[in-house]
Amino acid sequence: MRHLPAALSLALLLAGPARANLIYVLNSADASISLIDSTTREEVRRIPVLREVHHLLLTPDRSELMVGDSGGNELIFIDPATAEVKRRERFSNPYHMEYSPDGRYLVVTSLRRDQVDIYDAPTRTLLTRLRVGDKPSHLAYSPDSRMVYVTLQGARKLLAIDLAERKPVWSAEVGSQPAGVIWNRGRLIVGIMGSDHISVVNPADGKLERTIYLGRGTHTIFPSPDGQTLYATSRVDSRISVLDAATLEVKARWDIPGGPDCIAFDPDGKLWVTLRWVARIAVVDPATGVAETIPVGRSPHGIFVQPRREPLPPLPNAALPPRPAGQPAVEPEDLAPVPAAAQAAPAGAPTPVQPAVVVRPAEPVPAPAEPGRWWQRWMAR
Amino acid sequence: MDAFSTESFTTAWAAVTGWLFETLVQPAFYALGLMDWAEDAYDWLDFGLFGLLGIAVVYLVCRPLEAWRPVEPVADRRAIRTDMVYTFLARLGLLPLIAFVLLASLQSRWEGWLTETGLLPPTLEEIFPPLRHSALLAFAVYVVVLDFGEYWRHRAQHGFRWWWALHAIHHAQRQMTFWTDDRNHILDDVLAALWFGGIALLIGVPPGQFPLILLLLRLAESLSHANVRLDYGRIGERLVVSPRFHRLHHGVLSAGAMGKNYAVLLPVWDWIFGTADWNRAAYPRTGAPGTDEAMATGGWLRQQWAGFRRMALALAGR
Repeated sequence: MRHLPAALSLALLLAGPARANLIYVLNSADASISLIDSTTREEVRRIPVLREVHHLLLTPDRSELMVGDSGGNELIFIDPATAEVKRRERFSNPYHMEYSPDGRYLVVTSLRRDQVDIYDAPTRTLLTRLRVGDKPSHLAYSPDSRMVYVTLQGARKLLAIDLAERKPVWSAEVGSQPAGVIWNRGRLIVGIMGSDHISVVNPADGKLERTIYLGRGTHTIFPSPDGQTLYATSRVDSRISVLDAATLEVKARWDIPGGPDCIAFDPDGKLWVTLRWVARIAVVDPATGVAETIPVGRSPHGIFVQPRREPLPPLPNAALPPRPAGQPAVEPEDLAPVPAAAQAAPAGAPTPVQPAVVVRPAEPVPAPAEPGRWWQRWMAR
Repeated sequence: MDAFSTESFTTAWAAVTGWLFETLVQPAFYALGLMDWAEDAYDWLDFGLFGLLGIAVVYLVCRPLEAWRPVEPVADRRAIRTDMVYTFLARLGLLPLIAFVLLASLQSRWEGWLTETGLLPPTLEEIFPPLRHSALLAFAVYVVVLDFGEYWRHRAQHGFRWWWALHAIHHAQRQMTFWTDDRNHILDDVLAALWFGGIALLIGVPPGQFPLILLLLRLAESLSHANVRLDYGRIGERLVVSPRFHRLHHGVLSAGAMGKNYAVLLPVWDWIFGTADWNRAAYPRTGAPGTDEAMATGGWLRQQWAGFRRMALALAGR
């Protein structure tokens, strides 16, 4: 029992700061998924995909991460905890996709084919394919799962679709090239990418109630995990605007070069943001707006944070570089806090594409092979 | 190509394209109300800059070689300048942009139609699952398949009279240098894009995630036209098309349907289909006797016009 206090403090030390969250980044122009360790800020694995991955989400039972490869017409299912590719499914052009809050529907927009597909969520059976206006982009549901709202980028419109009837109910002009849309406290908020603001829309009739200036190329909006704050990305002015979710008052503006796009949150509340035009992601401290960047693949788009206590173990039989002789299996530096030098650099630094710390991504590692011989799996298809 | 150089190249490339896009391209697209094309513009910027880099690399490799061991002295600099116009038009200019816009929308329509009918277009990786786990191997297979397609397109360019009328522009050059690679009639380029794009639609070509390898492929093709006395040896000649191998294809006796050495990258196709000439001592004069003089020495516009005229005559049976 003499060693108990020491053991306890060691355990606390290890458990406290060492949250090695796993960050999934979809490299849309590189046909791959980068996995970043949040403590070392290093790429620990790269999963190859067929063509062009854009968005990802958890399945309703939260057991699988579903990645849409729109160019490859494929859904990739990954165990979020182990990063193991469980299976792949043929699927028509999965661009932006969301499950309805009640878990009954999966709606998928097909930007290039001008169609919106409504699927039965559990079986992923196509219920209806709606031909809609030019470039259906993002979508959002009403909390009661009765309606889905889709932005039509090429038609300046927002389209409301009744999910029970599976028919459009109204469409309304909301601004030039609308992109992201979310439901926020009884209203729809739409990012107006061809202009410089968000539009606030009444979901009952599509009436435009107000516009709020944020910055040129306002793209999409993400609520914070506690729902108190909204973060909106503007691509041309390359900034993140921080809004009070209740009043929609702009509380802060963070200039982050590189074209911020999608945002995910880690358990500490930090923002992980894909920077579309510079092949990097940014980690932003919500208290200060200070950002640090990490290199990933080309044109990173969707992003997801899997909370973990420990770093991802190496792949069995994977072609990882050999561990130096004498080094223990659990590497102490994996658990050490990020060194001071690796902490953030101020956002909006004059050299936009230079990182605060140059973190070299690890060698791409092939995805784990599926069990059985390839021809057996092929025959079984 | 070790991991470090690939990575430094990728990082530097992302920095340059990102800066250009954010400072010049995106603000312009925003001002023109074209933000929904921003992602395509980003892709195209990549393509255009990559073309520029490709020309620079080809120049740096081929020019010293041409100075070192030329096959023939340069007598007609004007003819070379015309080829340079072709190169810049093809690799940076409007032509790839038109092909890109046309084929991208064609592809989504084709795939849309297939999904409507309940089918989804396959990719080679789905047909041969081992390719999934090695992106490099998959890429190599795509290159082989597409190169095979190019061999047969080239055979057709020589075999059909109306197509030869266009392709003769490429062969009319008597002062062949590495710039001659892109010397093609605009309609010939469109046909090539449709052919290549068509095969790409069928097998689902992967995105350009191998910039360094693509650079090497373009280099090999330009080098095969270079004015240099160079072959790759007994074995090398059978693996990759050399300046010697391709100059024989451009020889005056090889024009039209009488041709040899059609391969673009891999000579194995000529080997298999009996059209190879392995004579390593031969460096014939180039050109296409019997074609309009405008095709050999005219400027870009005159050559284009001559191509259309000849094609019309061929189609009319004259």
